[in-house]
Amino acid sequence: MSKPIINRRESGASWGGPAVNTSRRGQWLQVGLPMAGVAIGVLSIAGPFLATVVRSILVWDGDAVGVSLDNFARLFGDPRFASAAVNTLIAGGLTTFFAMVLGFTLAWLVARTDMPGRGWFETGNLVPFFLSPYVGALSWIYLLAPHGGLIPRLTRNYLGFSLDWLDIYSIPGVIWVLTLFYTPYVYLFVIGPLRQMDAAFEDAARVHGASFWYTLRHITLPLVLPALLSAALIVFVTSAGLFDVPLALGSPRGIRFMPTEIFSLVQYPSDFGRAAAFGMVVLTVTILLTLLQRSFIANRRFDTITGKGYRPRQIHLRRGGRIAALTLECVYIGGAVVLPTAVLLMVAFSKLWTGVFLWRTATLGNFEYVLTKYDLTKTAIANSLFLALTGATIAVALSVLQSYYLTRGNPKHRALVDALLSLPLGIPGIVLGLGFLIMAIRTPLYSTLSIILIAYIARFFPFATRTVTAMFLAISPELEQSARASGASWWQTMRMIVLPLLRPALVAAWLMLFVIFIRELGATILLYAQGTETISVAMVILSERSSGYVAALAVVQLLLLLSAFAIFRLTRTSISQS
Amino acid sequence: MSFVHIAHLTKRFGNHTAVGDVSFDVPEGSTLALLGPSGCGKTTILRCLAGLETPDGGTIEIGGNRVFDKVRHVDLMPEKRELGIVFQSYAVWPHMTVAENVAFPLKVRGIAAAERLRRASKMLETVGLKGFEDRSATLVSGGQQQRIALARALIHEPRLVLFDEALSNLDAQLREHMRMELRVLQERLGFTAVYVTHDQAEAFGLADTVVLMNQGTIETSGPARAVFAKPATAFVARFFGMNVLEAKIVGPVAGSNYVDVALNDRVTVRGVAGEKLDPTPGKTVLACIRKESVRADRVSSDGTRPATIEAMSFLGTAEEYIVDIQGVSLRASQPAIGFRRGDAVHVAMAADDWIVLP
Repeated sequence: MSKPIINRRESGASWGGPAVNTSRRGQWLQVGLPMAGVAIGVLSIAGPFLATVVRSILVWDGDAVGVSLDNFARLFGDPRFASAAVNTLIAGGLTTFFAMVLGFTLAWLVARTDMPGRGWFETGNLVPFFLSPYVGALSWIYLLAPHGGLIPRLTRNYLGFSLDWLDIYSIPGVIWVLTLFYTPYVYLFVIGPLRQMDAAFEDAARVHGASFWYTLRHITLPLVLPALLSAALIVFVTSAGLFDVPLALGSPRGIRFMPTEIFSLVQYPSDFGRAAAFGMVVLTVTILLTLLQRSFIANRRFDTITGKGYRPRQIHLRRGGRIAALTLECVYIGGAVVLPTAVLLMVAFSKLWTGVFLWRTATLGNFEYVLTKYDLTKTAIANSLFLALTGATIAVALSVLQSYYLTRGNPKHRALVDALLSLPLGIPGIVLGLGFLIMAIRTPLYSTLSIILIAYIARFFPFATRTVTAMFLAISPELEQSARASGASWWQTMRMIVLPLLRPALVAAWLMLFVIFIRELGATILLYAQGTETISVAMVILSERSSGYVAALAVVQLLLLLSAFAIFRLTRTSISQS
Repeated sequence: MSFVHIAHLTKRFGNHTAVGDVSFDVPEGSTLALLGPSGCGKTTILRCLAGLETPDGGTIEIGGNRVFDKVRHVDLMPEKRELGIVFQSYAVWPHMTVAENVAFPLKVRGIAAAERLRRASKMLETVGLKGFEDRSATLVSGGQQQRIALARALIHEPRLVLFDEALSNLDAQLREHMRMELRVLQERLGFTAVYVTHDQAEAFGLADTVVLMNQGTIETSGPARAVFAKPATAFVARFFGMNVLEAKIVGPVAGSNYVDVALNDRVTVRGVAGEKLDPTPGKTVLACIRKESVRADRVSSDGTRPATIEAMSFLGTAEEYIVDIQGVSLRASQPAIGFRRGDAVHVAMAADDWIVLP
């Protein structure tokens, strides 16, 4: 009469997932959809990757195409390459070092001491994570440009000393702005381990004779070292690959960095072969570092460091310590959030920026022009919103399928798929943009919004997949198995059980991608054409014409980013409360 | 003479008083067990003793040194108290080898590397981990981690060693074994020990003195045997798993320490009057008897009472019953006989086994 609800024959034990339905359609969906998600992810990376590889070894001689390593030879023979490589390594290395010191210190202060205002700083320290580094760099130009900057002007006029020797257009300037933006990465990585660490590790050291500092150095720090080093690697790879800050602070003085060098290689007169060769070098280094990090984590995970017993003791700061801690927080949040935002608002509301804000020249004109009159900026805002909304939605949908495969799929292939899918995490946007440019340049996709959309998704879906996979791991397969045993199909189980349980992770991933897409510059700068500019691209185009328009546009972008951050905080609190 | 002296110790967390005015002494070379249900304040006392928690009042002396005194603003840092400690989670540092873990107290005391290794090896041998020196501390079993933590707590020859539920994470067999070994070690090395546990078998197996805590205060304390044999309060009786029944005093037995109490309209028993008992007839009191002292048998004999088996559960070496004696339900535990539900039995209970508490 009625079909049996549970199919005992195929219990799906080897897959660790819910029982496989005998209905062909159900099975096709259950196996096919996650596989499709994985395939799309792998292909979206493989395409530009292969395009870069192929283009890097192709050499044109008149009309004849040959395969050779000429591009590499010319690249390595060029002193500009060496200069860009050295500057990038210095900036990336020092940024990593400073971000580690600052990120660990801030995390430790928030997690383990009784610093006043901890609750505020806990959120405040994360705000830079959501801001645009390009806008940050521009703001610091307004703040610290030699002669014209706000800070040197104020010190000269009111404090009587000159700061003209401080030049933001320099390698230290790049490192300063990068450090401000990459500190939250380290902070996020270590605050969890610092909070959840079994108090007994430190207590045992103290009772057996170690002082506070000795314990911090020999017990606490080594225990969070795996998290710290993972963060360091990610910070190094991503900060060295970031296009935004070198463009704003290095290019005006001709200081070469890897991302800006690749960018100028594809400008007229372009040399795609050499650009591709440069891209290959960067890809190789990035992939090697990513693999190194994966094997490092695999070897040194201290699963045992979290405990259920006592929370680590809160350290009481004395007067000196409190003042030092608050000063550090003020310097960090002031430098990364408050000062840049303040100067941005001043510039945006000034008719003509001369380095000081005057109420009598205050105007709304810049906003009026940018929002209602100027086609470029109007198009750019619409494009950015379209890319962010569509891109985040598609990437999150993709990430659910991939995460399903990574947690419930064939265990034999999971590790490999995981490694493949996390490769884009470290690839600089400019390098991926170059790959897509080479791939699409002779196709109808070239100079469309679609190619930018695809590049965004390809470059950033691993962020969403990471978040969603973590949540998937927390959902017991038995919850799904119960649904299947109760008669739900795979599709119904996904819709009624899995997706609602994943919701917090989906919201977080979607907001994170929205933020990333709204401010993306590295890939877009190579792929945009007339009519497909984004907010960040429009700022670059306008940066040589009017600081007022750029600042007004930056404020619009800032509002979009901060509203995403606000929603993020709101949903986070409501989740933790329920 | 007493080695540890705690007086009027008080510790609050916000509005909650975790430890309220607790005082006790630990004689040199002896073991004291702080026993009680979770949340009773026993771990807080241990942490105050170690200097990991700052009390809100009272004094603590260790080996004649005042390490904490609220009034005189004395509060020695943990590292200045010269202690050893073993945690429930062992807290064996995962980024160090076994030998590095064990030698840590020597390292922070500035002892040379060669000497450290020599003493660590010797201590590892003592705890039965000879040859484990260079192993990664994360790659050993729970029982071995426990021994590493123990070796680390003893290597600098502290005169006071603290144990925070140190055996609770081990399986039953290993726990038994370690309990014996700990006793042997202590007799050999002569340290004083304070042992926190919620497990009465562990407390009685290890300690000379037991302090039973309840909601931040001492419920009863004394030599292990006395605390167990003569529960001082109904809380103690319940904590040790005794039958505790409400009863009414019928009247004291003249010329003795016995008192007759009525458990209901039909059942009256004779028991030992506890301290501070007011034997006014009609007063409501608590009558307590150990499960093992309630014996059910098929045949009747002198002084037995007819009863029915209400429920039984088989526990391997023993069986537990609930017996109904004319409307009074009692739990009984005895070697397996094989009664079934509904069986008519005869129950023997000695007057000396009943304790009547106010």
